Amino acid sequence: MGALGRVAVIIGYEWRRAIAKKKILALIILAVLFQALVMIALSRLLSYGSSLPGFGTPSLFWIFGVLEGQGLFVQLIAIITAGGSMSEEYEHGTADILLSKPITRLEYLFGKFLGGFFLLAMVEALTTVVGIVLSLLLIGAQNSLEFAPLMFLAIVYSTLIFFSLSFMCSEVFRGSTIAMIIAFGVFIASSVISSIFGVLYNFGGGSAYLYLSRGLPTWAATNFPSLLMDQLIIGFGTTDTNALVQASIIIVVYAIIFFLIAAYRLVNSDVSKKTG
Amino acid sequence: MASGSVLNVSNLTKFYGDFKALDSISFSVDKGWVYGYLGPNGAGKTTTIRTMLGLLKPDQGKVQIANADPSNDPIHALRLVGYAPELPTLQTFFTGEQLLDLMGKMFGLSIQNRQEKTKQLLDLVGLASWGNKKIGTYSKGMVQRLSVALALINDPLVMIMDEPTIGMDPEATAQFRNLFTNLSKEGKTIFISSHLLDEVQRICTHVGMINKGKIVFSGPIEQVLDTFTQQWVVEAELQNVTESIVSSLKKLDFVDDVKVEGNKLMIQLKEKKDFRGEVSSEIFKQKGVLLSLNLQKITLEDAYLRALKGGQ
Repeated sequence: MGALGRVAVIIGYEWRRAIAKKKILALIILAVLFQALVMIALSRLLSYGSSLPGFGTPSLFWIFGVLEGQGLFVQLIAIITAGGSMSEEYEHGTADILLSKPITRLEYLFGKFLGGFFLLAMVEALTTVVGIVLSLLLIGAQNSLEFAPLMFLAIVYSTLIFFSLSFMCSEVFRGSTIAMIIAFGVFIASSVISSIFGVLYNFGGGSAYLYLSRGLPTWAATNFPSLLMDQLIIGFGTTDTNALVQASIIIVVYAIIFFLIAAYRLVNSDVSKKTG
Repeated sequence: MASGSVLNVSNLTKFYGDFKALDSISFSVDKGWVYGYLGPNGAGKTTTIRTMLGLLKPDQGKVQIANADPSNDPIHALRLVGYAPELPTLQTFFTGEQLLDLMGKMFGLSIQNRQEKTKQLLDLVGLASWGNKKIGTYSKGMVQRLSVALALINDPLVMIMDEPTIGMDPEATAQFRNLFTNLSKEGKTIFISSHLLDEVQRICTHVGMINKGKIVFSGPIEQVLDTFTQQWVVEAELQNVTESIVSSLKKLDFVDDVKVEGNKLMIQLKEKKDFRGEVSSEIFKQKGVLLSLNLQKITLEDAYLRALKGGQ
């Protein structure tokens, strides 16, 4: 069996492990319910008029509904999924069982990362489908649905930052609670600080504030999907090619840095004994 | 690596912060040996095993399993190793069958091979009727049995087991002792860390003793008994102890001294040889009535305790 085969075994293992965790299932149910609530709310708002200012035309509500419905939840699911990925193996003492087998630590790490990330993508696919189906049922005919797969991929890509951050904390601190707290903390702090920099820029504080605002992880993670849809569907919003490129680069740079830190930690340190 | 050895540990040193858990330990284990690894709590037994498996990074020295270093080349070093950890914590959300199947996958076994091995091993460890139940519902002893089954999934050349019978009932302990003996006869090399000296003495061909991170002995089990035996003693119980019997025994070439304890004679031998035949002949010559005659050889426990005290 080659390296890819060994990574695939860990991906499969990670799926089964994550699904066995009831908290992940609870989050999936919550995400789908939240998506449904957003769509129901949009349809109720629409009953007051044929269009809603700032929401786009009703035929594009599927985009708004899916993006807004998942904007927060998908990041939270990313943090929770990745936060336990490495650390729970140490906490439960099961890392010994896996890493005493013929597999390199990097293969194990890749398998864990990809397994969790694919699971997250599956959850996002499910909620995207739910959002589109509900928009068709509750609002009516929708346009530009051919872009749905791209939007799904954009949302999944946007989760890479906080998924990787939480994954890194999970390996570095080897405790799931601390990993999730730190990732949530960064998410909230980054949102607040990014907003403050954005306000300072808008008040004429200079372009440095704009770059600082965009350089923090939350901006790229939360804006990338909508920036892409702006580019794809004229009239959905404002187009800003530079911002889209910046966001895509920022996401991949953060993800690579966080992954490399996790890899360095795993490869160069002892496998902890049971800590939980 | 020493000729014929499948497991070689040389100058292995491991620190936990400032604490030196392993102090330049070296030993090697040849194919077919059953090597008992003994030591008190905190001596460094589990640290040795976890370093041998590449789970811990050594500060100095190296480990080779089948000519590969598990720390740098786990694919080649660990493919022939079966490992059963001390008090294993297995993935409780899996059934026994599922976990065996996963481990089989990690060793690259085919589906058919995995299915056959899973059935065979669950049967071997007495868990055939529990294979489809979640591990979370298993008792401690059952988890230990499953752990041994997991260590056998790849038909390993070397089995490394850390206190494998801990938590098992006496019947299961005896059953596993027979299993390890049979595996050894099949040519498997078995490395067992254990506190059960009686168990080690019964099944091991070689022993290593570690104390405070240092190897105090490594070699054949007969050699350890010999090394830490100061003097062999023949204990003779007689109906009546007479002066003529004592004095005639003292005159024998191989007798160092004779002590009388009631109706027992403690005959201290000059050599570490079994002279019971000669002793009984001499007693009969002197018209003595012999009730019992035993050679007091050292037990592994005695040797172990002496080794820990620095051979005194």
